[in-house]
Amino acid sequence: MFSYKSRSDRIIEPLTHLTCSNCNTENSRPFKEGDYVFKEVDEKCPKCGSVKMLITGIYIEMRQEKERQE
Amino acid sequence: MKDILDLLQIGGQQDILSSLISLIWLMLLMSFFLYPGLSQKIQLSYMLRDLERKLNRLKAIDDDVKDRTIKTLQTYAPPEIDVKNELEKLLDSFIISPESMDPYGIVYKLEHIVNTWEDRFEEDVVKICKKADNIRVKTLTNLVEVARGVHFIYRFVRHYYLLGKRTSNIYLILQIQMLMPQIMEIANAYRQASYAFIHGQPIGDGIGVLSVARLAYGREKKTYEIAKDTIAHELDFEGRRLILVRASGPGGTVGRPGEGVQKIVEAEGDKVKLIITIDAGLKLEGEESGKVVEGVGVAIGGTGVDKYRIEEIAKAKGTPLYAIVIYESITEAITPMREAIAKAADKVIEKVKQTITEKVESGSTVIVAGIGNSVGIGIT
Repeated sequence: MFSYKSRSDRIIEPLTHLTCSNCNTENSRPFKEGDYVFKEVDEKCPKCGSVKMLITGIYIEMRQEKERQE
Repeated sequence: MKDILDLLQIGGQQDILSSLISLIWLMLLMSFFLYPGLSQKIQLSYMLRDLERKLNRLKAIDDDVKDRTIKTLQTYAPPEIDVKNELEKLLDSFIISPESMDPYGIVYKLEHIVNTWEDRFEEDVVKICKKADNIRVKTLTNLVEVARGVHFIYRFVRHYYLLGKRTSNIYLILQIQMLMPQIMEIANAYRQASYAFIHGQPIGDGIGVLSVARLAYGREKKTYEIAKDTIAHELDFEGRRLILVRASGPGGTVGRPGEGVQKIVEAEGDKVKLIITIDAGLKLEGEESGKVVEGVGVAIGGTGVDKYRIEEIAKAKGTPLYAIVIYESITEAITPMREAIAKAADKVIEKVKQTITEKVESGSTVIVAGIGNSVGIGIT
């Protein structure tokens, strides 16, 4: 029937930014349920292989916003 | 009849069809002259159609947010609870502002009413979502508040639409029609905010809390609860005693920073030499999101109670009030945080550090309050 969803109405999922507690490598992945900023997670660092990472940010990147506008 | 048709002819002989069209045109023209309200009625019907279209869209947003809220609450509710019915009760609940004929003491009366409202709202959410933990309850309470906000917008627009239609009041319809672009923008922002609260994602309004959390991260400190849903970190910064105040996270709450700051100043006495508040501020159109600006005063929105408390105690003790504001739009404030806003936290920290070292002598105490919603921001 009636649809209200336009391009600008689409929801963008933010990315979770993680920093390795061992080598400080920064990494990002799609947001997962239960994530919050400053949470320590048992995830493998893609560079050094350490399994302790800290969530340092959860936000929508500028490129994601641009992609929505295009 | 033929004489009239002959008279209507311009530039020579015409067939019967052209004469008929000319006659219709003439009658239309005459109706506008003889019945001046006709043009207004046509305009009103056009405006009502436009408003009806937007009202349908608002209804769709309201239903969408409500459905999503019910589904989320159901995951934490025992099966015997009728979530839909309980939510309807919360959506229709209201708050009555205190009487202002005698304004003496009105701020504390307002605070009492708002605190009662917040506590009751949270208790009702706990009654529905018995399986949710404390952190989740805070975020679910925010989600219900968002659903209530959207529902109120829909009811408000529907009221003016129906009233204007029933009374054929073009001026009433005109006013609501002029406000519709902003109203639709806010309703859409609420819809996106519901997603953020369902998943516990940080929102733009949380930048004050995020800045303070970053400032405290990795430093040796003492942490304790100073007021309901409000924590304080005590730490040392270049010989100064720094007391950071923020809403406790990662659940969605704004805490009671006014009460927190007041308690600290009362306990510390004259040792507090500066109070800095950090909050998100509404930008003007054309301004850059995430821009960090400094000023004087208390940067806190909401009912004004927290602002009043800090101003009162600061005036009594003669403590200077500094404010740092991060610009963002109303949509950005209640939807998942944008990169430009998140990155502003580092600039805020630099400004706070610079202000403290420049304005406060070693051995003194400084209070830094990060204002905003703590959803998705943990305690460091």
